Amino acid sequence: MVIALLASSPALAQSLDEPIRPVPPSAVPAPARAEVGRRLFNEVRLSGNARVSCASCHDLRSGGVDGRDHSIGFEGKATAVNTPTVLNAALNFKQFWNGRADSLEAQINAVVEDPVEMGSKWADVVRLIAQAPEYQVPIRNAYADGVTKANLQNALATYLRTLTTPNSRFDQYLRGNRAALSDEERAGYTKFKQYGCIACHQGANVGGNMFQKFGVMGDYFAKRGNPTKADLGRYLVTGEEADKYVFKVPSLRNVALTAPYFHDGSAKTLDEAVDIMFRYQLGRVASKEDKSAIVKFLGTLTGELSGPL
Amino acid sequence: MPRVQRKRWMFVSAGGLALAALLAFLYVQSQRGDDSNYYENVGLLRQLKQVDAQWELDVLRSRMGINADYDSLVNPLVTLTQLRDRLQDVLTHRERAVGVEGAFNVAIAEKTRLVEHFKSHNSILHNSLAFLPTAANDVGVVVARDGNAEGPSARRLLADVNEMLLLSMVYSHAPTADKAAEIQSRLYDLDAHEKYLSPEPHQSVDIFASHVSTVLREQPVVSELLKSIAAIPVAARVDDLDQLLSEEQQQADRRAQEYRRYLLILAVALAALLLYAAVNVVRSHAIINRVNRELHATNATLERRVEERTRDLRAAQSELLTTARRAGMAEIASNVLHNVGNVLNSVNISAGVIGTRMRESKVEGLAKAVGLLNEHAADLGAFLADDERGRRLPGYLNKLVTILEAERRGTLDELGAMTKSIDHIKDIVATQQSYAGTASVVEVIQIQDLVEDALRMNAGKLARHQIAVIRDLAPLPAVPLDKSRVLQILVNLISNAAQALEGVADRTRQVFLRSSMASAADGQWLRIVVTDNGEGIKEENMARLFVHGFTTRKTGHGFGLHSCALAAKEMGGAILVHSDGPSRGAAFTLELPVALAKGAP
Repeated sequence: MVIALLASSPALAQSLDEPIRPVPPSAVPAPARAEVGRRLFNEVRLSGNARVSCASCHDLRSGGVDGRDHSIGFEGKATAVNTPTVLNAALNFKQFWNGRADSLEAQINAVVEDPVEMGSKWADVVRLIAQAPEYQVPIRNAYADGVTKANLQNALATYLRTLTTPNSRFDQYLRGNRAALSDEERAGYTKFKQYGCIACHQGANVGGNMFQKFGVMGDYFAKRGNPTKADLGRYLVTGEEADKYVFKVPSLRNVALTAPYFHDGSAKTLDEAVDIMFRYQLGRVASKEDKSAIVKFLGTLTGELSGPL
Repeated sequence: MPRVQRKRWMFVSAGGLALAALLAFLYVQSQRGDDSNYYENVGLLRQLKQVDAQWELDVLRSRMGINADYDSLVNPLVTLTQLRDRLQDVLTHRERAVGVEGAFNVAIAEKTRLVEHFKSHNSILHNSLAFLPTAANDVGVVVARDGNAEGPSARRLLADVNEMLLLSMVYSHAPTADKAAEIQSRLYDLDAHEKYLSPEPHQSVDIFASHVSTVLREQPVVSELLKSIAAIPVAARVDDLDQLLSEEQQQADRRAQEYRRYLLILAVALAALLLYAAVNVVRSHAIINRVNRELHATNATLERRVEERTRDLRAAQSELLTTARRAGMAEIASNVLHNVGNVLNSVNISAGVIGTRMRESKVEGLAKAVGLLNEHAADLGAFLADDERGRRLPGYLNKLVTILEAERRGTLDELGAMTKSIDHIKDIVATQQSYAGTASVVEVIQIQDLVEDALRMNAGKLARHQIAVIRDLAPLPAVPLDKSRVLQILVNLISNAAQALEGVADRTRQVFLRSSMASAADGQWLRIVVTDNGEGIKEENMARLFVHGFTTRKTGHGFGLHSCALAAKEMGGAILVHSDGPSRGAAFTLELPVALAKGAP
């Protein structure tokens, strides 16, 4: 193990640079499939009553979310949790707030048949898409075996993998362009690290690679009130007592665009969200200036999706 | 026979196919022990182990704070899953593998779960530990700002905080239950201090305390997790898989070895079979050679024999030809004699008639009358006038003159006929000369006369067989013809017709003669048809009719028609034959080109 430690020390030096790494440039490995996925993403026939598409809640023009605390499903019912953004979802280690999907395909699979969200059946979706003339050519170009459930999910997942937002100002900074950030933003990043936000929000996605209990240093839910089933978080997946109130640490990429915040959408602004994080996750008190600097820093995490977001 | 042959072929093909299939099967089976697959899998397992080790190392680094982010703890799982999936392709349908692989999967899942917990707890522990000195410092700052820093309780508080900071740091490096208990009791003490504090220091102490208790809470959790993670036997499961794989490989090797042995045996058997076949081929080649040689020898003998036989045949044929020629000559001779005989008959008759006439001639009456006159020479007048006999004498003489005149005419006629017959005899003899190659003598003749002559020359035969001759002879102009040849042909044809009628008893024997002249593109053609209603000609004999030596008669030589055809050909014509079949009669047509001579009458 010592040898392995020594052997990997050059890589160590590099990784020590910063705990946050730039978003890798988005590559489109299968353009034909991504194109099918793009169409499906905007396809209302994915929902049981042809009312909503993926794009209904994941509006790419507004950070991949709809700005609501809880999104409205195909029958007008509110979803259990706040809609997470699809941007950089491919960089998350698991999908959904409670991480119940190990892959984008699994996530898509679940959403389409979710009784609140899209309320459809895959058999129906496959049939409808197979009948739709406008899909004939794109699907034939992308898949040898035509319209299947697996192919549709793969197409959507392929498309989602293209929805990464590289080249944020902060990433430019990470790549060595000091001038990409203002002094205050740089100070905000320093505070972000000093206060320990970085303990969870790290990696290429500034989060999205681990679970954490909401309310480490205080009982958030007691303070908030109105406990819901969704508040149990990962417990709903594993049934482990230790997983109660545990959620996937969300990515902070494009966070300035994705209000409201948290799984319950309770924080309407970034300042509010930062406040709650300090209170319940860090168990610390920070000055207004520090928090404002951190919020400013978070603003530099907004990247580009074929153009500035 | 072909069926048997086909059956044998099918049998041989099936046998060959079976052997090929067996060979292919054994070859494939012997390749099953292919090492490359095995080594690839072993490589995969090594990689798995390495990734797993790296994962554990990254966990430790995160614990030590060297790893600043958790991406490195997520990525191994992705790699592990991919490697495992590749391994699954290899192991899926092997019963034992399912158990071992299941254990491996359980180990990975458990480790993943523990690592997730580790990340959560480690980040908290880290944050609190990192913050503790600052928090302690904050307490000091706040207390100082509060203006109570010099008070005994404030001093004790600050001392306690600092001590707890130290204890916590020590604890974080070497956690023991004693230290934990001590920190815990100190926390209670700190609680006791608090009631003497104003809100601001109170809050900072609270924060400090909460982080200390966080360290106290999270440290054992993280330690436990690390222990558990290290205890997860992923590597052991990988080793299990490795062992399973190597066992399977050994087994496959043994099996392949076995199949290779079978393959060798089969190869030896096939070689033996091949040798046997080769020996057979050589042997049959020898047999074929021998038979060939024998065949060659036989052939040579046969050829020699055929040659001899051909020579014999040629000799026989020439002999036959000579005989035939001789027979032909004889035929001609007999024909000539016969014809001559016929004509001689006419001559004889004419001579008889003349003789009779001469014997019965009234010339004697004339002599008597002359004697009477001589008697009465002196008194010739008186005798003629007075004597009864004398008076009748002139009348008698007149009568006698008439009679004698008639007599003379009849005799002359008879003599004419005789002369003609003699001419025919001359002709018949000339005919024989024509066979001998005498140059043709063309003379202008009347066809009708020629036909009549030919009939006359066969008159005896025709009369003997009571054959009715029906003539349909068109009045044709005299044409220049080789009279003797044409006559010869007609005589022959009529003679043949007469002979064909010999056996006919149920109907009137008839010979029908017709002559005509026709114009064609190549000039005038004379056509004389001799038809009989006799025995007819068999279809199969039709073609050989004119062949030299062909005959249907017992006494025939097969020369007549042949010579006729020859003669006709020599004159630029032909003889055509037609028969409706046996007993349906026959028609022979002599076709001759005729040049209507300019000066011809």
